Amino acid sequence: MSIFEYNGSAIVAMAGKECVAIGSDLRFGVQLQTLATDYKKIYKIHDQLFLGLAGLGTDAETLSQRFAFKHNLYRLREERDIKPSAFGQMVSATLYERRFGPYFCQPVIAGLEPDGTPYLCGMDSIGAQETAKDFMVAGTATDSLLGICESLWRPDLGPEELFETVSQALLSGQDRDCLAGWGAVVYVITKDKVIARTLKGRMD
Amino acid sequence: MAQAGGFSFDLCKRNEFLEARGMKGPGFTKTGTTIAGVIFKDGVVLGADTRSTAGTTVADKNCEKIHYIAPNIYCCGAGTAADTENVTGMVASQLELHRYATGTQSRVITAMTLLKSHLFRYQGHVSAALVLGGVDFRGPHLFTVYPHGSTDSLPFCTMGSGSLNAMAVFEAGYKDDMSKEEAMELVARAIRSGVMNDLGSGSNVDLCIISKEGVEYKRNHEYLQGKTYERQFPQRFAAGSVPVVRERVYDIRKAVTVVEGEPMEMES
Amino acid sequence: MMRISCPLIDGPATSAAQDACGLRELGVGGAPVDSFPLPAVQDIDSFEREVVEYVKPNHGTTTLGFIFQGGVIIAVDSRASQGSYISSQTVKKVIEINPYLLGTMAGGAADCQFWERNLGRQCRLYELANGKRITVRGASKLLANTMFSYRGMGLSMGTMVAGWDEAGPGLYYVDSDGQRTKGKLFSVGSGSLYAYGVLDEGYRWDLSVEEAVELGLRSIYHATFRDAASGGTVSVYHVTQEGWTKVRGEDVGELHFRFYPDPAKHPCNSVDPLAV
Repeated sequence: MSIFEYNGSAIVAMAGKECVAIGSDLRFGVQLQTLATDYKKIYKIHDQLFLGLAGLGTDAETLSQRFAFKHNLYRLREERDIKPSAFGQMVSATLYERRFGPYFCQPVIAGLEPDGTPYLCGMDSIGAQETAKDFMVAGTATDSLLGICESLWRPDLGPEELFETVSQALLSGQDRDCLAGWGAVVYVITKDKVIARTLKGRMD
Repeated sequence: MAQAGGFSFDLCKRNEFLEARGMKGPGFTKTGTTIAGVIFKDGVVLGADTRSTAGTTVADKNCEKIHYIAPNIYCCGAGTAADTENVTGMVASQLELHRYATGTQSRVITAMTLLKSHLFRYQGHVSAALVLGGVDFRGPHLFTVYPHGSTDSLPFCTMGSGSLNAMAVFEAGYKDDMSKEEAMELVARAIRSGVMNDLGSGSNVDLCIISKEGVEYKRNHEYLQGKTYERQFPQRFAAGSVPVVRERVYDIRKAVTVVEGEPMEMES
Repeated sequence: MMRISCPLIDGPATSAAQDACGLRELGVGGAPVDSFPLPAVQDIDSFEREVVEYVKPNHGTTTLGFIFQGGVIIAVDSRASQGSYISSQTVKKVIEINPYLLGTMAGGAADCQFWERNLGRQCRLYELANGKRITVRGASKLLANTMFSYRGMGLSMGTMVAGWDEAGPGLYYVDSDGQRTKGKLFSVGSGSLYAYGVLDEGYRWDLSVEEAVELGLRSIYHATFRDAASGGTVSVYHVTQEGWTKVRGEDVGELHFRFYPDPAKHPCNSVDPLAV
């Protein structure tokens, strides 16, 4: 078994027209045993920037706290929120620092740059950045999610359409994965609001 | 928390323990890769494919493998994506500082030495296989740097899983003192043979031409493998087709009120 | 190709070149298959272990069966998985051996399907030779004998044989180790522990048929909720003197929201996922 399959997760992010969406499943389990169904893998960095962490749960929580800490220091020094692209570099550097003893986490970053353009990026567990204009996936359901996103994504989706597309992709993708599912949560980030919704999914 | 820099090894023991308990470690994103370079009459041409892979999955269909080192030096990377990205980034910043200190143009051989000394120190564990090219006051230079820190200096070279395919093209088609157009065509053909015949390489051809006159970075010089199938009737979901349980909307408009102030009295 | 023969159980093998699947009929009841091609390697055990990594069989399952005043209830889920990938949500895990006999599937899908079909064949031959139906005891023994003859060779099955004969309702647990146990209540598979929890809590001998069916359904449902490798649909079979009937087949996706109409009130939900 791979260490990535210890807790299980499904994360998907998509870019739209002046908006981005990021969603994750809600299962927290230990191997085959489901322990909770209210465990989201997405962390807010600031109003326009969300971070999804797939992989080993303990490392995801440690990392999310380290990033919150680093962002707080950044805000104290700079008196502004970090740009998503700069945050991406920071996450990458933090992971590469542990090149030979990595955190078992795969991050997905979704946010809006100050000028309102969507920013999406993903990484492997040692911080090899992969920026995308369309969508980014991570977790145990990666293969299923990649296929469905490749099929459903279109350029310039509006916030509502983007939400439907991300949700459909996430629900279909995680239904083919034993270790992810049990409901889902999706955030749509636009210039002036963040819409958070929980979805009804299969509970098996 | 505050660190001087360098790698942190504090999770190694834990990860080793987990591995001993049958937990396989993660696979890293690899570049698979065909990268190549040739020296022509007045410079060098570097080329790369644009596929990155995670196991058998294509992780990125259009990634950038020709990295910036200095205004007159670029470097193609193959191997573990994070390593090529970071090792080139580190050398680029060292050279930037060196240029600030000395006020001179960076030399290709300096970049090469910095790269090899880093790679040799980590005994191949930093797995980056590089093709380094540039033009300095001594003329055009082309080097290959292997993950263990050895280097070659050749008029044409290839690296990565598609290196054999590309080298076959070079062996057949290389001539001394080619024109820029000839060199570009040869490199593009070499990369194309990797893209077509090597499963680890794919998608498009990037080129970077460096000469005394400057740098031409031709991103997606050949766009070979765009999506062949576009949905004629794309799937559209009407609003409300996904079962939403609960919703919450956060208003994040910054509450900024502009207060008109009295002009300050100035003493004359 | 190396072959294994089990002369103690079958009598001497007739010919090495005989049909590998043992479709050769041998008198009363049909003898267990005595010859099956084995991999030509030195160490079969370690070879099997290695190979199973490549071809991961369907291991995740929840099946259960119990005897009560109104007959036998058999209930199963319908998920097939390969590693963490769900390869099907609509697998039939109850094998209808004949109108009075049912077998359940857990472990390797191919092993269960093949050997229970093979059991059906043997049972039919018994019927033809003896002019009466085989007992549940006899049928389960045939399967257990087959399993024992391949013991340690990598077969993987955990099955229940349930049915009705002149002695009344019958329920046996048979697995690939060759174990065979008679009992009133079993649950098999990766989700069996969860099913046992519900089953033990709700089981009484004098359950009505409706109550028993509901108990089977609920036990499988709760197992699919907790066990990642179980899911899909719940199928419930009821065996009586007249033979078996399929009484329920329900999608777990809908079942959950019937048991817990408000997701927020489910005990596994305490944090609000919408809070940021």
